[in-house]
Formats: sequence, C-alpha cells, structure tokens
Amino acid sequence: MRIRKILPLLSLSILILTLSLAFTSGALGYYFPLPGVRMLASWYLYTTLNPQFPEFSAMSPEAVTAIVWDYRGLDTLFETAVFFLAIVGALALMRGISLKSVVENNTATVEVEGNGLSPIVKTASRPLTPLIIAVSASIALHGHLTPGGGFQGGSAAAVAPLLLLVIFSVYFLVKRGISEKPMLVLRTVGLLGIYVTAFLAVIAGLVLGVNAYVFQNQPKFDAPVGVPAYVFNTLLSGTLFLFNLFEYLAVAGGFTLVFILLSIPEEIARSVLGGEEYE
Amino acid sequence: MIELSTLTYLFMAVTGVISMIATYLAVLEKDLVKAVVYSALQSTAYTLLFYLLMAPDISLVYIPVAVGLYPAVILFLIKKTERMEGDEK
Repeated sequence: MRIRKILPLLSLSILILTLSLAFTSGALGYYFPLPGVRMLASWYLYTTLNPQFPEFSAMSPEAVTAIVWDYRGLDTLFETAVFFLAIVGALALMRGISLKSVVENNTATVEVEGNGLSPIVKTASRPLTPLIIAVSASIALHGHLTPGGGFQGGSAAAVAPLLLLVIFSVYFLVKRGISEKPMLVLRTVGLLGIYVTAFLAVIAGLVLGVNAYVFQNQPKFDAPVGVPAYVFNTLLSGTLFLFNLFEYLAVAGGFTLVFILLSIPEEIARSVLGGEEYE
Repeated sequence: MIELSTLTYLFMAVTGVISMIATYLAVLEKDLVKAVVYSALQSTAYTLLFYLLMAPDISLVYIPVAVGLYPAVILFLIKKTERMEGDEK
C-alpha cells in the first residue's frame, strides 16, 4: 500500500522541518552544548566536591552520579523499583519452569556441549567475556569519579551472559551455575543493599541519638552524622559508591535473569505453563 | 579554516539524518529481524549524538542497552512468533 510508505515519510519530514525551524529561530538556544556554564550547573559544580563546605557537598567529582544518587536519590530508587517490577512480571509469567531440572533430565550431555555456534566463535568469545565483566565493573565502581554508574555498569555486565547464551546455548550457562536462582539472589542482594544504604545515616543517628535523614550522604547542619567520604584515604563519596555497587549487582542480575527466562525453549515453556491441555 | 564547533554541528547533522533514515527503514521493513538491525543503527547514531552533546553517562548506558540488550530481547520475542510481518494483500 502506498499510504503505508508515505505516512512515516511525511511525519518524519514534519519532525525534521519543525526541529530545524526551532533550532534556527533559537527556541532551543543557539549553541549546543552551551559554551558557558549556567547558574544551576555552576551551583552543582561548586557543591559536588567541596571539602571546605562538607555540609553542602556530596563529596564526588562526578556531578551526574551525585545528582542521580544524592540530590535526587529517591527518584532513582523508584526508577529501580520500576525495573524490579518488570522483572517480577517476567518471573510471574515463567513461574514453575526450572532450567536445572531440564538440564538434569536431558540425558544426552554430549548434545548439550555440542549446542551453540561454531568453535571459532566460541574460542573468540572465551577471553572476551571476562574483559566485558572487567570493563563493566570499572564503569560501575568508578561511577563516583568518572562518567558511569550502577545502571551503566550493570547493563554492560549483562552483555557477557547474553553473549554466552547466544554463542554457547542456555544449557552451558545453567551447567556452570548461572541459572535463575543465583541471578534472583544477586538481584535481591542488590536491592536489599540499596535499601540498607538509604537507611545507613538514620541507623547511625538512632545509635548516636542525633538527628538524621533517609538518603543522607554527608553530614548536614542539623544532622551531624553521615557516611564517610574517604576510606583509607581513598575517595569513596560515602553512599554514592555503595549505591553504585548494589545497583550494579541488581541490574546485572535482573537483566541476566530475564534473558535466561526468555531463552528457555518454547516447547519446554509451553509444556510447563500449558499444564494438562498441551499436547 | 573550519572551526571545531562547526565541524561538530556538521557531524551532528549527518548523524541525525542517518538516524532518521534508519528509523524510516525500520518502520517500513517487513522482515522484523532486519527492522531490529535498522533500529540498532538508529541507536548507534543516537549514542554518537549523546556523546557530542556532552552526555557521556547517557552514552555509556545507551551502548549496551540499545545495541546489545534491547535488540536481544526483541530477537528472542521474534523467535517466539513469526519473522515476517503479515502483509495485507
């Protein structure tokens, strides 16, 4: 049909023309990115790492991570909760399927090893997978110093089991202990860690008998407790490092869990989910 | 002599046009696997745009999600249904 081809073209051209008009008339500003620093940005840059004023500072040179997990940490917590709920949905859909029992019932172990792509691809991906994990860990654990953070690192880490899944087949992963249950545990540990980190200052405040807030990172004027920014002279930015670490575990575990569930062969999934009616 | 900012804008414009063409092809493509590849191409262009707009954090999350994880999810779902979009003849 002709209208099916014309309609997307028309809408895209309208979008391009409208955006071009907006850019040329300066509706979105004349410079991208801005040559100078705006008032709000300069305030953030002034406060993110400023040891002279610890009551104002988030003690992290990375403004984006400081904003995401300190200035508006509650927002990020609920974003993580949305991701958590999506994975709960996937788990609810695939309930009752255990890949471990599928592997154990599969008597032909030789066939399990023979699955997947060619030996050339397998050999190339063997050294690649630990490299991906190492890079993702550095993205997540340096998240308070350089661009990156828990979600970025976690999603990069999830690429490694995904590669193994496609190249070696799901049975390879399950035989090496990367199945639904450990990933569920990893994700839950991550979420619990985020939850505990949010309450760290409150717990310290209760113990010491002083005022403290949920999601508090550094000491504030009326709440003199906080998570230490330096540990053994290394800048860890208090809660930011812990949040990044636990978000890394939660996201990597969550994505891997979803991919393992999605890669379960359709016949096995139907035979479990369909119950008696499936033939 | 071309200034660096002009070069950046030029590169951004080219990347934006590439992303638009990839979007158009992804919408029209009947073969869903090819549509996913076009969509990944569009995401790659967006990653470059985010980097040029000085948002390295977004770039870092966009590379694994939009080029690795999201096409993988869609490909798994295509495997569970049919590869070709039904034509209305």
